[in-house]
Amino acid sequence: MAGVRLEGIVKAYGAVQVVHGIDLDVAEKEFVVLVGPSGCGKSTTLRMIAGLEEITSGDLAIDGTRMNRVAPKDRDVAMVFQNYALYPHLNVADNMAFGLRIRRMPKDQIKTTITETAEILGLTEYLERRPADLSGGQRQRVAMGRAIVRHPKVFLFDEPLSNLDAKLRTQMRAEIKRLHNRLGVTSIYVTHDQVEAMTLADRIVVMNGGAIEQVGTPMELFNNPVNTFVAGFLGSPPMNQVKGKLTETGARIGDTEIRIDGAINGNAGRDVIVGVRPEHVSLTADEGTSLLPISLDLVEPLGSEALLHARFGDDNLVFKAETHGDIHHLSGVGEVHVPASLVKIFDAETGRALNLGA
Amino acid sequence: MVDEHTTAVPAMEETVLEASEAERVRRDGVIARLWDHLKRDWQLYVMLAPTIIWFLVFLYKPMYGLQIAFKDYSIFRGVAGSPWVGWEHFQTLFGNDQFLRAIGNTVKISALNLLFGFPAPIILALMFNEVLHATYKKAAQTIVYLPHFISSVIIAGIVITAFSPTAGIVNTVMGWFGLDPVYFLTQPQWFRPIFVGTGIWQEAGFGSIVFLAAIAGVNPSLYESAVVDGANRWQMMWKITIPSILPTILIMLIIRIGNVMEVSFELVILLYQPATYETADVVNTWVYRQGLQSGQYDLAAAAGLFNAVVAFVLVMTANSLSRRFSRTSLW
Repeated sequence: MAGVRLEGIVKAYGAVQVVHGIDLDVAEKEFVVLVGPSGCGKSTTLRMIAGLEEITSGDLAIDGTRMNRVAPKDRDVAMVFQNYALYPHLNVADNMAFGLRIRRMPKDQIKTTITETAEILGLTEYLERRPADLSGGQRQRVAMGRAIVRHPKVFLFDEPLSNLDAKLRTQMRAEIKRLHNRLGVTSIYVTHDQVEAMTLADRIVVMNGGAIEQVGTPMELFNNPVNTFVAGFLGSPPMNQVKGKLTETGARIGDTEIRIDGAINGNAGRDVIVGVRPEHVSLTADEGTSLLPISLDLVEPLGSEALLHARFGDDNLVFKAETHGDIHHLSGVGEVHVPASLVKIFDAETGRALNLGA
Repeated sequence: MVDEHTTAVPAMEETVLEASEAERVRRDGVIARLWDHLKRDWQLYVMLAPTIIWFLVFLYKPMYGLQIAFKDYSIFRGVAGSPWVGWEHFQTLFGNDQFLRAIGNTVKISALNLLFGFPAPIILALMFNEVLHATYKKAAQTIVYLPHFISSVIIAGIVITAFSPTAGIVNTVMGWFGLDPVYFLTQPQWFRPIFVGTGIWQEAGFGSIVFLAAIAGVNPSLYESAVVDGANRWQMMWKITIPSILPTILIMLIIRIGNVMEVSFELVILLYQPATYETADVVNTWVYRQGLQSGQYDLAAAAGLFNAVVAFVLVMTANSLSRRFSRTSLW
């Protein structure tokens, strides 16, 4: 097992820089998820760790050894690709054995390893089948099997579930998590799906425009986003963000005064963005809450809860409310109550979270 | 028993009637569907029409003339007016040493072509795929494609000049090593190597385009995955590229096998001479001499028909073998 360290990693294609000096420490046995929108540089970063892309500048170390000039095969990493990268002319067993044969592992050892791994992944009965005869989920398992049999120091996952349907994705997500708990191999996982990031990661790295926005545990990022980008990227639906102004006692949005925790001090009058997570509001007033009048637009039932789409001035807001088995009582909602302790304040100009102190 | 028969027969008749009714409805359905297709996609059918007409006029209509292979054909009596002679022309053919020699030569030249000429474009494509310098790659590709666009007459002229005993480059080089000049094109043992070599030089480059296209279609992440697994370029070529383009190789092989009896007629005519007939005379050149030069159209038609039947059997066999063993086939 090994940790991975990235120091000032830069990737440029000619004059175009796509990754701007990334610093990241992945601890041994840790499961780190790089998440961000398309084109944010997360896959490029992963490919640099794998050795599939050259590092323009900066240092990459795996298990304490500098890897910048080391060939991919000597980095002792295994990668799972988005489109599985299974050899169509080989059956499942041969696909899984490919890397082992290349490394000239003895035949009987290969057989034992394949049998054991197939058992872990539930692929025993499919060993003789070719990829074309497998379902998407089975193919994904074979791709993971091919990585597992190598017993690498680090697993690299490049959006491995994005080709699967929603149901299978949920299932495979749990399988990957179980597998990581069982094998305890350091893993770096790239995805654009924030649900995958939240559910799988020990730590999440949110990337945007080739740089890291924030690193932290899923709940740290969810509860304390450092800026409006992270606040808007994590959470489903994302955090509601409304322009406002700080006052002596809270924040004013439109004609409504929202109480917030913390000391405003000399910040009164400052232009801010007020952030409220959809699930943090309640339909009844409570101690420490502020009333937010809304004009209900649409109710989307999800089962145990419903999404309330509402208008507040020129802004479209989304809130979550419990249905208790019925949505009729939600159709008349005209206000929500926002708890002061859960309101997030960001600087309107920079988008950075304002630490107002508790 | 009687009762059983009397009830069974009408029941059977009823079933037959139902089946024929169902067949009629199905046929009507097929015609209706075809008509719907024609109405909906008439523009596509219009575009398809020239090809169909070309096939009908130049490939299917001449088949009518194939019957002269079984007739004592006279151009004055015409195809329909000439009397039937059954298998007489085929008996003549298979009793003719020159024809049998031509079959042998055709098979031998085709076998050499298959052995050396078929792998050549594949090897070339694999080599091009390994060239990383884009400009060099493009230049090299253009150079090897060029001979394809040169007329066979020019190609033959180049070959004749190159192998000339007096001014040819081959004999000049041999002279540097103290070897006596050889008049290659008059010696039967040299015809096949020169012919096959010329074919490779002319067509290998252009033929490699199909395989390069197939290579371009291989999923790049297969290579990336192999790189992470530790494969070198040689291993990637053998374990990924070649197996990935195998379906294309097999399809091209089936087509090639179908053309086994069609040795490049013009080039043989241009390169051979009576001194090399022994190894150079193929079925098509023999048909040309008998049919057009000696006016034995019926005999030539019989030889042509024999050629076509052999090619048909070969392509069917190759196709079914390929389908059976590799799941790849033309149809």
